[in-house]
Order: sequence, then C-alpha cells, then structure tokens
Amino acid sequence: MYRTQDEVSLLRAALGGETAAWGEIVMRYKDAVFGLCLGFLRNRADAEDIAQDAFIRAYVNLRRYNLERKFSTWVFTIAANLCRNRLRYRRNHPVMEVDFEFEGGADPARTVVHEERQARVRKALSALPYTYRAPLVLRFYNDLAYKEIGDILAIPEGTVKTRIHRGKAMLKEKFGEERDLA
Amino acid sequence: MNLDARDPWDELLRETLQRDVAAASDSLAGLENRVVERLGDRSPRRGFLGSLKALVAPTRGARWGQLTVVGATACACLLLGLFFGGRFPFAQHAQSALLGEAPATAKSVATRSPVGNGVLFMLPAKDAKVVSVVGSFSEWEPIPLSDDNHDGIWTTEIPLAPGRYEYAFIIDGRWFGQDPSADEYVRSFGEYSSVRYVGGGDGA
Repeated sequence: MYRTQDEVSLLRAALGGETAAWGEIVMRYKDAVFGLCLGFLRNRADAEDIAQDAFIRAYVNLRRYNLERKFSTWVFTIAANLCRNRLRYRRNHPVMEVDFEFEGGADPARTVVHEERQARVRKALSALPYTYRAPLVLRFYNDLAYKEIGDILAIPEGTVKTRIHRGKAMLKEKFGEERDLA
Repeated sequence: MNLDARDPWDELLRETLQRDVAAASDSLAGLENRVVERLGDRSPRRGFLGSLKALVAPTRGARWGQLTVVGATACACLLLGLFFGGRFPFAQHAQSALLGEAPATAKSVATRSPVGNGVLFMLPAKDAKVVSVVGSFSEWEPIPLSDDNHDGIWTTEIPLAPGRYEYAFIIDGRWFGQDPSADEYVRSFGEYSSVRYVGGGDGA
C-alpha cells in the first residue's frame, strides 16, 4: 500500500499517526542511517540501537520537521546527535571495547591484498578521532555535499573541508602505505 | 556528484564503509518492523501551537460560541478582580456591606493622621493571634497591637515626634513590611519595611 507512495505523502500519513507509513520511511532510509551510525560508532550493536532510536525520535518529533527541507538531512542530524551522545556516554562509562571486525565472508571477486587493505583502513578509521571520522563517513558513505555535512554536524562548510582533508591525511599516516595505493 | 573519485584512497574508504554495512545486514533486517512495534499506537508529539489549535473548536460557528464563552468568563473574572481589588469607587462600600463590616471606621483608622498625641498604627489581620509593630521609634523592639472588639482590625497608638520612621508589623511571628497606609517602602537585608512621615518631618 505504501510502497509506491512518494516521500511527502508518507510523511503526511505518518503525521496523522499511521505508523505503517513510517515503517516504509524507515525501510527507505535504514541503510543510510545505520551506515552513518556504524561509521560513527564503529560498533554494530550500538549502531543498531542508535539507528532504531533515531527513527523513533524522528517520528515522535515529526511535527518539528519542515516539509520544505530535505528529509534525509533532518534524520541524519538526529542520528548524528544520538551517536555523539552515545560516544560521550562510552567515554564516561568505559566498557571492554570489542574491536569492530569484518564478518562478510570470502568474496572471490576481490584479491587477498584488497581485503587486507580494507581491513587496515577499517582499523585506521576506528582509531581516528570522532571529529575527523564523522565528516569522512558522511562524505564517503552517505555521499553528501560539504554544505549538508556542515548542517548535520553543525560546523561551517570550510571546517568540513578541512576536517575531511586532515582526516584523510591522518588515515594515510596510520595506514603507512601511501605509496602502495598511489 | 563528483566525490573526488581520482583519489584511490577515497574509493578504498567508500568501499570499506559500504562493505561494513553489507556485512551487518542481519542488523538491518526487519529494522522497520522493530521501529513500528516500539512505536505502538503513538502519534507524533504536538508542538505548542498544535496543542493550542487542538483546543480551538473545528467549525466557525462553534469557534464563535467558544469565543463568546471565553470572553464572557474573562470579563466576569476581570470585573470580580476589580470589585474585590477595591478599584471601583463603590467597591469598598459594597464589599463592607457584603462582609458585614463598618467601612467608614476602617477607612478612617487606615489614615496616618495622628490621633491625640499619638500616631495610630492599624492593620487588618483577621485570623492573627499576635500582632505587633517594630520600628525605628522603638529601637525595633515589638510594641503589641490589640483587637479588643475581635473584628480583625489590630490597632495601637504610639506618641511620635515629627520625623521619618521606618517600621514593619509582625503577624504571628512573620514579618509584614508593606503596610498599605505607609508613605513609602524601603528594602534592606532582603526584607521590605514601611516608612511613615509624621508632621512633615524628614528625620527620625
């Protein structure tokens, strides 16, 4: 029933209390929101929790959303804020860190070297401070423009560019194999 | 969108992030159902304006009716406020008639005119048990007020030379610094005190 409806109709239906319409919205954005949370938090269980919370908060506060603005930016902002709170909580309530491990299984189309590089990038990304990791995730996973990233993280566009540039430099530094990729 | 595709690092970063999400696909499966389940019968929260709108009647006719009732209630409250606040010229007489009091006497003792050789201090305090006045004229020692006829009007007469006096009433141990018949008020140490000028004097 909702599968064919456009986003605005779904949002209007959700505003009227139709949670099933909201379910369709979740379906459309869950990859992007979960990917953002996973990139920010580097922990699968936390990412799943926060992605769910983000959609619930967005629904409860749906009347605050201005239909003229881009919906994805609004949901990403909610998710990013929740991630930041979770990281802050983690800092104050340290638990035994579980390394983020890739469990995707073998991909015959990829070479062992490529797999190894991805694993090292993954590790370097996890070690990166949040202020640099967040813009990199929004840029390279969510495919967002600098302006939009700035809106989500509440920082100026120029700062976004600087952080992405600096973040990449730090990644390369941690990786230590720049020449192999060039 | 051009995402700096020339840099092999960007491509590697993009692929890595995408693969992480793909590897966690079991976390994503059924996320929408879990969200809908957690929402239950909830509706999006109304904002402040939304809550106000919800109070307004849905049709124009009903809205006029609602407005009339609200307006009439507001006017009635305003008139009652003015009436009991003593802002109408006839209000005090009417109030006194309603409450069975003697307004003329109450009004006259409220003035700060000296009676005989003394200055009359008067305070209506119906349920009070002990009322006294403290001030610069008594080195801030309490002087008791009396209510001999039990009408709730406590009085005492204190002989004072012309000058300026600061004072306050103590009603059952509680400070009452704003005498309605005072000439002015001062605030010190966080409490109000009343000021009265006797015989046009300006120094106590």
